[in-house]
Amino acid sequence: MVKISVLQHNPALHVPIRPGDPTPVQRNLNPSMHPFAKARERTRALNAAKLDKIFSKPFVDSLEGHIDAVEVLTKPLESLTTVASGSWDGGLILHNLHTRSEMLKLPQAHKGKISGLCFADPKGSRLLSCGVDRNVRLWKVGTGDGEDDSGASSQEPLHVYPWKTSFNSIDHHRSDPLFATASSTVQIWDETKSAPVSNLTFPTSNETVSSVRFNLAEPSVLASVGSDRTFTLYDIRTGKAERRVVMQFRSNALAWSPTLPTMALLASEDHNLYTFDVRHMAAPVQIYKGHVAAVMSCEWAPTGVEFVSGGWDRTVRIWSSREAGGKEKGPGGREVVYHTKRMQRVTSTIYSSDARYVLSGSDDGNVRIWKAKASDKLGVITARERASMEYRESLVKRWSVDKDVGRVLRTRHLPKSVYKAGQLKHTMLEARRVKDERRRKHTRAGEQKPVAEKKKTIITEQS
Amino acid sequence: MDALIARADAIRPLSELKAVKTRDSGKGKAKANSKGKSKYNHIANKKLRSQLVHQHALNSNLSKNALETQQNLLSLAADDAGSIQVTGPLEKTWRVSQDEIVASVGGEAAKGRRELTFGPGQGAKRMKWSQNGKGGTKVSSVDWMGGNVNCEVDLLAGSNLAGAGGNGGGGEAARDVTFLQDQSFFAVAQKRNVFVYDRDGVEVHRLNNIIDPLRLDFLPWHWLLVAVVHELWASILHRYDHGNADSCAPHEAGCLQYPHSNRHNAVVHLGHQNGCVTLWTPNLPKPAVQILSHMGPVTSISVNPSDGGSAGSVNMPGRYMATAGRDGKVKIWDCRNWKGVVREWTVRGAGDVELEWSQKGYLGVLSGGSVNVYHPPHIVTPYTGSSSSAAPPLYLSHPIPHKPLQCLRFEPFSDVLAIGHNKGLSSILVPGVGEPQFDSLEADPFENAKARREREVKGLLDKIQPDLITLDPSMVGKFDSAALSASGSSLVATAAQSLLDKSDKVKWGANVQVKNVGVDVPFSRMKRVERLAVQGKLDTTGAGDDSEDSDVEMKEGGDGDSDDEGGLTREEMSKKRKMRGKNKSLKRYLRKQRKNVVDPQVLAVRAKVDRMREEAKAKKLQMKAGGAVEENKRKSALDRFKAGSGK
Repeated sequence: MVKISVLQHNPALHVPIRPGDPTPVQRNLNPSMHPFAKARERTRALNAAKLDKIFSKPFVDSLEGHIDAVEVLTKPLESLTTVASGSWDGGLILHNLHTRSEMLKLPQAHKGKISGLCFADPKGSRLLSCGVDRNVRLWKVGTGDGEDDSGASSQEPLHVYPWKTSFNSIDHHRSDPLFATASSTVQIWDETKSAPVSNLTFPTSNETVSSVRFNLAEPSVLASVGSDRTFTLYDIRTGKAERRVVMQFRSNALAWSPTLPTMALLASEDHNLYTFDVRHMAAPVQIYKGHVAAVMSCEWAPTGVEFVSGGWDRTVRIWSSREAGGKEKGPGGREVVYHTKRMQRVTSTIYSSDARYVLSGSDDGNVRIWKAKASDKLGVITARERASMEYRESLVKRWSVDKDVGRVLRTRHLPKSVYKAGQLKHTMLEARRVKDERRRKHTRAGEQKPVAEKKKTIITEQS
Repeated sequence: MDALIARADAIRPLSELKAVKTRDSGKGKAKANSKGKSKYNHIANKKLRSQLVHQHALNSNLSKNALETQQNLLSLAADDAGSIQVTGPLEKTWRVSQDEIVASVGGEAAKGRRELTFGPGQGAKRMKWSQNGKGGTKVSSVDWMGGNVNCEVDLLAGSNLAGAGGNGGGGEAARDVTFLQDQSFFAVAQKRNVFVYDRDGVEVHRLNNIIDPLRLDFLPWHWLLVAVVHELWASILHRYDHGNADSCAPHEAGCLQYPHSNRHNAVVHLGHQNGCVTLWTPNLPKPAVQILSHMGPVTSISVNPSDGGSAGSVNMPGRYMATAGRDGKVKIWDCRNWKGVVREWTVRGAGDVELEWSQKGYLGVLSGGSVNVYHPPHIVTPYTGSSSSAAPPLYLSHPIPHKPLQCLRFEPFSDVLAIGHNKGLSSILVPGVGEPQFDSLEADPFENAKARREREVKGLLDKIQPDLITLDPSMVGKFDSAALSASGSSLVATAAQSLLDKSDKVKWGANVQVKNVGVDVPFSRMKRVERLAVQGKLDTTGAGDDSEDSDVEMKEGGDGDSDDEGGLTREEMSKKRKMRGKNKSLKRYLRKQRKNVVDPQVLAVRAKVDRMREEAKAKKLQMKAGGAVEENKRKSALDRFKAGSGK
């Protein structure tokens, strides 16, 4: 007897049992059931890349209050909300990032420019400032819990440390009541004494030190960059300079990596950023090219993977550090550039402690808050939204080699001045390279050897 | 400072920093995917290699898991799938009548067998199912599962389907219908234009720029409406996105009869009055493929949507095309290779032959007064018997008394075959033709209104651009092989370069290949060997093995001139040596290039080579003459003390 059966679907299996239940999903992964799966996924990736561009609105807010250019920004180690800024007129403001209000304002903290700021404790209750008025002042700025407690802070400094020369930079020791200042020399101060306890300077040096920073893992190690184009390492226990390298150009700022103890980042006058491993100072580990004018400031993200820099070219740039395990390249293979019409030369940049925001202080007297990831969504994100964001991200990553998707990712708008300066710079560098090649071609073989780009930057290493 | 360095070394030693700049080399997984590793051994870039190995491991895991899941799902679905099982060799499936099927399955399944009568001369002439099979169309749209007619568009009610040629007397003739993205809209080709109706039969849109349409089809992933416009020329691929119809690629295609779009590559197959079948993409002004398929007009085309029926088969979906012609033949073609038919047979009966593949690869053929359904594997296996035109074994047959039979459509995800005929519409049960396991993310017969709306929006977002329609849909996401071969062709050097290579070889040894010497390659972009060569640091020892070069020969040739090598003269010798390896194709190519191309550089190099040769010859002659060499030496003050110098 012939056995006959006919395909039947049980409707009860395919409709929700009760109203409000999710509709049951049935899958068939046979490729013939999914025609154009790849082409559709590509379209989705293209849309995801475009959406990423559409949503990228990095500017969050600007903190006003200074009447002159902002020179320095600093944050305490253990606070998410407190940020202090100092300006050229000697004004000092303590901002609360959460409420975007001023917790403390000292209009005349110093006479003349405030050149350095740092918190004296991780909670952020005491603040050290130094200026061109040849004073270092210690301020009580609150109880350190980030609350607006004007009662705890005062308009008068707790302590004043006078000296003979103007200061350029200041940094506090991580655990001990010591701080280092940079002027024509590098000095170590004790908070309880009114004169420096030691003077650390390289024997033959007569530079102006522009920035000084304590190492984060080994707090007795100190690094400085100065006007005679050096990057110097000191040890405050031995009380002398350990070693230094002389570079082609001077560096403006310095930052130690929070995760790799020997990794230091230098913002150089030659438009580049350099990462150095202090175990091997003969060459930088990596050169980060992109700025079209001198880089004025740099700071690592607390994750140690990304860092931010601000430059004379009126841009803030966010980089991903390859040696710290970051992405090989940013979106479109380049760094992220932030700019606005009214932002002038950027003198200081920092990351917020949760690595989600970037702050920049610029010549126009504003402190600006930016998102660290331009298309980040602020506010509450539901699980479905999060899942779809992650899906879009992985799609873009997967299809980034596609021509159209790559083009969307690569395209970025730059101000005309920056774009033109970049073009000009490229032309000049290319001409220099071609000239070098020609010169080499017309010299006897083997006489003039090309030098690696990384080695070119170092003139000599001294110890 | 030492403490700092010790801390840093604990994280990553200095040597590692110098050697490798990546941390995620995946050392732990290296053993697990040793197979993938060996596959990518040829890749020099360490980072890329490790990435590929990692990806390989991920993919293999993924595909393994997917296969398992799929098999589990299919085993579940196999219970649902319909079939006719015969117990003995004398029982034949084609003997089973519809009444028997209905009687044996009973209940809900038997409702698939249905006869809808619209009155004589008003039957369904053309119809289509929507993507998920929820509503079938004839001119009036039928909600099949509910069993009621969705709407009868007014103009259709009178004489729309009456005339066999679609030339309805008073009303507007409906020539073809197709559903758009889902069952909520359908387009009707009427005498003047294409009109779009919603599910209630309200006209929502009129596509003014398609005049006198003949046939319609819809490409669901591209959101393209294909309209074949009257007899003499075809305008296919009108873009239709909710109210915007925009002709995107009109083509002149000669007089034609029947379009069918391939579900898997969106290429439109057109059958013509002259027996040709042409394949059209919107990117080419001419057909991508043109074959003469029948001796007479082509009446029907269908492309196999399944991948061969059995699980794990290697056939790609959309590989086979079936055509039927007015010459009474049905032919099966292999779309990858148009060299000839895979199988052909003759059908009997008057009238146009119509055919369609089901989702599982069954072929339904409508001819004369009956519909025949054939098995999947036998349809596409080339027939090896004596007569070349034997029909494949019949699976099921069903006679219908209402001639002419006009069209047939298999319902997706179901075992139902709908047949349009003169009096209306009848549907029969064909066990096994439908895909039992639908994917609710693609097409779901049970979706509700919310899911339908969501699918519509998602479908619009995922719409594929028409310029991606090609014969090979797997082109997306692959390397452009043309570009790859173009970069490979730079290996073919010009004559000047090959000559320069020669002189460079003399200088630096035979194992150097200075590519593109004529081109200004910056030093920083050269390879290491080339850099060394340019710097003059290359190790040239052990380089003299290849004596193809005449200049090298001269240097090492010494005095044993023409006597060794069996009395051959020098010219003969060099000719003989030159002949070695001459039949290599690249060498032949280069030789011809060298012969034919004359440019100043080549001439200069040739002159230089000749000059060097002359000099070498002269030198050798001097050597032979003996003391003659010494004359040329610079005189020294001590020479006067030599014997005989004073004389």
